[in-house]
Amino acid sequence: MIELKNITKKYEINKNNTITALKNINIKIGEGELVIIKGSSGSGKSTLLSLIAALSKPTSGEVIVDSKRISKLPDNFASDFRQNNIGFIFQKYNLINSLSVRDNIILPLIPMNLNIDVLNTKLQNVIKMFHIEHKENVLVKNLSGGEQQRVAIARANINSPKIILADEPTANLDEKLSLAFIEILKELKFQGKTIIIATHDPLFFNFNIVDKEIKIYQGSIS
Amino acid sequence: MSSKINIYLVEYAINSLLRQKHKTFFITIILTILIFLLSSVFLITNSIKHELNATLKSLPEIIVQKSKAGRHYDIDIDMADNLLNITGVKSAIPRVWGYYYFYNSKTNFSIVGIDEYEEQYKDTLEKIATTLDFSKDSMLIGKGVNRIMSKNYYKEYFNFIKPDGSIKKMEISGVFSADTELESNDMIVMSINNAREIFDMPSAHATDIVVKIPNVDEIATIAQKIKQQYPDTKVITKDDLKISYQNIFNYKSGLFLALFIISLFTFFIIIYDKLSGLSSEEKREVGVLKAIGWRVEDVLKAKFYEGFIVSFFAYLLGLLLSFAFVYIFQAPLLKNIFIGYSELKPSFELPFVFDIQTLALIFFLSVPIYIAATIIPSWRSATLEADEVIR
Ligand SMILES: Nc1ncnc2c1ncn2[C@@H]1O[C@H](COP(=O)(O)OP(=O)(O)OP(=O)(O)O)[C@@H](O)[C@H]1O
Ligand SMILES: [Mg+2]
Repeated sequence: MIELKNITKKYEINKNNTITALKNINIKIGEGELVIIKGSSGSGKSTLLSLIAALSKPTSGEVIVDSKRISKLPDNFASDFRQNNIGFIFQKYNLINSLSVRDNIILPLIPMNLNIDVLNTKLQNVIKMFHIEHKENVLVKNLSGGEQQRVAIARANINSPKIILADEPTANLDEKLSLAFIEILKELKFQGKTIIIATHDPLFFNFNIVDKEIKIYQGSIS
Repeated sequence: MSSKINIYLVEYAINSLLRQKHKTFFITIILTILIFLLSSVFLITNSIKHELNATLKSLPEIIVQKSKAGRHYDIDIDMADNLLNITGVKSAIPRVWGYYYFYNSKTNFSIVGIDEYEEQYKDTLEKIATTLDFSKDSMLIGKGVNRIMSKNYYKEYFNFIKPDGSIKKMEISGVFSADTELESNDMIVMSINNAREIFDMPSAHATDIVVKIPNVDEIATIAQKIKQQYPDTKVITKDDLKISYQNIFNYKSGLFLALFIISLFTFFIIIYDKLSGLSSEEKREVGVLKAIGWRVEDVLKAKFYEGFIVSFFAYLLGLLLSFAFVYIFQAPLLKNIFIGYSELKPSFELPFVFDIQTLALIFFLSVPIYIAATIIPSWRSATLEADEVIR
């Protein structure tokens, strides 16, 4: 269960100027739900995702995940929270281009210092699930856009998080790849993951697996 | 924080270094050169300091010379008896010594004449005296002298040219090494009579007289007394000698300091460059790592390994190179800066002085500073809100 209570997020540009990216947001998302957050550019979608991932803190209000107050966590606990609960699929994938597919995917596991067999099992699971096993040792920069996204998705899933956050996942994909992504979403939803997608891609709208659509306009829910 | 080393983190650090091959290579080279310079300078200074201390220890309390119009003349041997009458003086030993200029190699040798039956003015000479055959025209030579003579094909004997132009042939009966190379290196030891012959010095004369005074507190007063009683003498105390030795050394440590500062300066430029920020690429990477669940300390540990690998490797390499450079190759170029004054003397060998403190000093001047320089900028961006990466 993810709950946002009276969330306001302001960015300070300089002493006299602040931007209010989010205003009085209240959202409840149940476990296993697939939620779409839509809204035009600059409306505050990414900001919302970063608050849920504890990547930033709200100016006021609370973010509660499984009865834990994420918005009040000290930095180290926020890192641990992300490590154990969140898989983030970034709009620009944010892979390390000069590392291999394998090395990119295992990045979230590195601080855990796992036994090598455990690590390899987890790795094999995700590279098979997202169909990139044949590219395991290829450098990421030599992959196509669609393959790169699958690597990013594999990385987000390697530690079996309960919550998947995706920011504009289809922005850099053609229609065929976008549809393939939808298939992946179905699979993840089938596994019981809570999925939150920020997008303005009409492909997602009125889509049967979507449980909830939240529309943001200039920082407020409309 | 677990104390177990995280191999994945180390692997990640190594990968990071390899990913930036050129940068890593460049920084390693620069660091190695700096550490090499620093270490060489320290090793040479240590060697010279070691030599100098040993030399200072063996200095006589007072040397009396005959001086007229500011110039130094041979002194009468009888003077030794006069000096012995002064209370507090334990012994007064006339010395016969001087420089011999060897034209072929444009070097000065120091010839020291010793008397078979008299007490020697220095402990090291006592030892040498027992190995010298006084019945023949033979001599013992220092290592540096030996090197130069054999280079000029004088392996068994050497022909000295006396002031009147005639030749004095002396057999080389052995090579000695004394406690300090600085003074023994250019030295030739022979019987006092042979030395007199080569210098054309009458037997009633000596070069100077060494006065031994057991009580250190009396040195100054006795020196003054000698000067008063014998106005035609120049009295040099141990302290005077020390000062002149140390002046030579200080002048050199000034140069050494200059080098040191240059190294540090360059070192800090690198550090400044590192501190002035991460590239946007590096910042993004730190943000990504945090976003996927790394703690600040994980990021910093990885950076620590990166810095440690580079700087410790450079430290070992720089140290190794400087040991080879100083002790095997005898520090070409650099050595001349430090011991320029001995240009007219045979070059002496830098003795091996192993000193953990120096190694530690070089370590602390390089490795932790460099590691700090790699960690601080990462720490700055790792503690910022990580939400930048999602944009
Ligand atoms: N770090 C920041 N500093 C200042 N202003 C910011 C910062 N991050 C976001 N903003 C501002 O907050 C508002 C919301 O930004 P956000 O990125 O959440 O929008 P978005 O809906 O994700 O837009 P897009 O569809 O273009 O990705 C924008 O006006 C943006 O300029
Ligand atoms: Mg956005």
